Amino acid sequence: MSLTGYVARRLIQIVPIVLGVTVLVFFLIHLVPGDPARTILGNHATPHKVALLHREWGLDKPLPVQYWRFLKRMVRGDLGSSLFYSVPAGRLVVQRLPPTLWLIGLGTLFSVLIAVPLAALAATKRDRLPDQIVRAVPLVGLGFPQFWLGIMLLLAFGLHLGRGFPVGGYGSGVLGHLHSMFLPALTVALAIAPILVRSLRASLLEVFESDYVTTARSKGLSERRVLVRHALRNAVISTVSVLGVNIGFLVGGTLIVEQVFALPGIGQLMINSIFERDFPVVQAVTLAFAIMVVLVYLLTDVVHALLDPRVRFD
Amino acid sequence: MHPRRRAFAFLVTAAAVAATGTVAALAAQTSHSSSAVTPKRGGHITIARIEDSTSFDKTNVFQNESIWIAEQINESLFEAGNDGKTLKPWLATSYTKSKDGKTYTFKLRKGVKFSNGKPMTSADVKFSIDDARAQAKGWGYLDAAIKSITAPNPSTVVFHLKFQWAPFVADIALFANGIVPKNFAGQSRTAFYKHPIGTGPFMWDKRVVGQSVTLKRNPFYWQKGKPYLDSVTWTFVTDENTRELQLRGGQIQVDEFPPFNSIDKLKKTSGITMSLFPSTRTDYLDMNELYPPLKDMHVRRAISYAIDRASIVKSVLFGYGTPANSQLPPQVPYYDKNAGGLQYDIAKAKAEMAKSKFPKGFKVQMLVGAGAQVENTIGQILQSALKQLGITVKFKTEDTSTEFNDIQSNKYQLGFSYWTMDIADPDELVTFALDPKGGAFSFYTHYNNPTVTSLSHQAQREVNPAKRAILYSKLQRIAASQANLGYLYYSPYRWAYTSKLHGFLVQPLGNYHLEDAWLG
Repeated sequence: MSLTGYVARRLIQIVPIVLGVTVLVFFLIHLVPGDPARTILGNHATPHKVALLHREWGLDKPLPVQYWRFLKRMVRGDLGSSLFYSVPAGRLVVQRLPPTLWLIGLGTLFSVLIAVPLAALAATKRDRLPDQIVRAVPLVGLGFPQFWLGIMLLLAFGLHLGRGFPVGGYGSGVLGHLHSMFLPALTVALAIAPILVRSLRASLLEVFESDYVTTARSKGLSERRVLVRHALRNAVISTVSVLGVNIGFLVGGTLIVEQVFALPGIGQLMINSIFERDFPVVQAVTLAFAIMVVLVYLLTDVVHALLDPRVRFD
Repeated sequence: MHPRRRAFAFLVTAAAVAATGTVAALAAQTSHSSSAVTPKRGGHITIARIEDSTSFDKTNVFQNESIWIAEQINESLFEAGNDGKTLKPWLATSYTKSKDGKTYTFKLRKGVKFSNGKPMTSADVKFSIDDARAQAKGWGYLDAAIKSITAPNPSTVVFHLKFQWAPFVADIALFANGIVPKNFAGQSRTAFYKHPIGTGPFMWDKRVVGQSVTLKRNPFYWQKGKPYLDSVTWTFVTDENTRELQLRGGQIQVDEFPPFNSIDKLKKTSGITMSLFPSTRTDYLDMNELYPPLKDMHVRRAISYAIDRASIVKSVLFGYGTPANSQLPPQVPYYDKNAGGLQYDIAKAKAEMAKSKFPKGFKVQMLVGAGAQVENTIGQILQSALKQLGITVKFKTEDTSTEFNDIQSNKYQLGFSYWTMDIADPDELVTFALDPKGGAFSFYTHYNNPTVTSLSHQAQREVNPAKRAILYSKLQRIAASQANLGYLYYSPYRWAYTSKLHGFLVQPLGNYHLEDAWLG
């Protein structure tokens, strides 16, 4: 099967997955106690006002009827309207998607930029001091919760050391975004990098033992050339899978980083919508998360295949 | 007004600069004071809040973060004074009342224009309040006494009431009765409130849903020379640490609600003014009388006696609050400082338990919000105190939306609530908190004392302030003696802002007039 055919097949597979996710989320969020009308009305929630809002939003109908309406709307590309903002939920998600995508993209890039040289250093200096340091320090880093790490980075680089970066926010324009997203992306990267370092180091060590590396060395190639041209490409294959899985988790984990850095992404939107029981937005965000995770896994498989010619698309 | 509660975000607050007269006395504690210099024109401020605004339809929104912005755009005929108790003319200059107390004639201020340049007339006022009172799911209930409104000439509005209604002018001063152009200036209702037009100091600029709202100076504002600021942006920053860092870093100028535990630190921070404004916020322990032991007045009195309010104020508010002694807070008209709300006395608590039908105690469930640190701390203090009375408290932890739902659906025994005033009159609070048919089942406690209800109804129709004071005093004393709720504490509004900001004052109702604010 060709790459195009494989991608097309995987994309078609997204449909039942997404449908399954919508069913699960729809019923879960509706079955959880809590009422958006009472949340909106606060202490002024009289039964009459609650009933009026329920009728306006269609929440007075049985759950299957509500789900059927949701599905009918979804087929037309309409995910309903936010109960709190009174704007289309789909539009809200689309507006809030860029900061999250920036966070994931830049975070992934930073994690690779951190992990590759460190893993290479550790593998080439196996069991020596650099290796010990590279193995130990990231482990300590793994123990830091992201919100704490984020606050520390904000304190250090946003407030005390020259105020080089904004304390939260998304910025405007590409350069503004890059500037604003540097610390959040670094927070994300510092969380993922230790796992990548360990995975890549182990793969490199394994590759260093293989015959073709011995052959390369016996040809008189420099260690640097052996590492870059022969070992790294093969070692990185398994790391791509590790990275893919972690990005999948990261998609769901952006919400903490978004909270700390005041990023108006969909993670933050998700949290608020759940607290407020803004059902249409919860459904729309979940849909977006589901699609993102599936696409990341698809991308991981494709990159894996491109890096490893032995992988076939059947 | 009722700010929606969040599990991950409890209270906040802060401060401002002393203005003049009463305000100076009221702006209780400000870490830095402003010098009395001539205000400067220009500049922009950003205010960071824990919640994003949801709607600017002032007639239907109950969220403070929306209301406080809407008030910069739409103004009312009268406004609450800086003491939270008095009313002052705003878009009207005066009113007269007929002998039977059922007709009010308001004279409108001359020279008032909307931000679109069109003059405000009586037709706009009639339209605005007719629209507000028609909102069944919104604030329309506060205008229920109005029978009809007429506009005999462009500068006069006449309100015909169904009956005498003492809180009428206070109700007219409600933000929901703010004035909008007739027929929404030719737009649909929905379209209008996406970018409302008003007579206020600021006018609509832009909004990015979930991020920020920006208003800019209204060039037609009727107070000459005001507002001083060019524009104001409200941003949405949920994390309290980030808000504080942004303030310290100069990225924002105002932090809407710093937590109590950061007050001391912010007071000592150079370049930051940390202010505590007297508020109408009162926190309560709700005791659901549908649970038989809590129907027993002696049990409620015992619980109320067992609340160590001083400890709660110290541990939860870090000393920045006072024990509550009435249903009403001190910043509300007719508050009775001798209402007699029961105070901590464990011996009296035991004596009350002995008089009850449950002298050996009972088990009770207390609803607390997940992550709601304040509720959890108070809950633990109460659990320990009530153990001495033989009352075993078990916690039920729920996220705040569920907690809210369960309290309002009677699926609770003990729970927490609070109230901040919407109008400079006790009527709304008393109706919700003490009248079982007032719409909220006496704050969902189902407390029902026909004498108290009757006093509330009499006070609504009693237009003589002295007689009204007696009625409200009686009502407060009876309710307090029966421990309708556990009155916990009064707490201030907490605001932190750059010391360059002057003229910023938060009123006891929670709102603020940004036309007076300026950057030095």
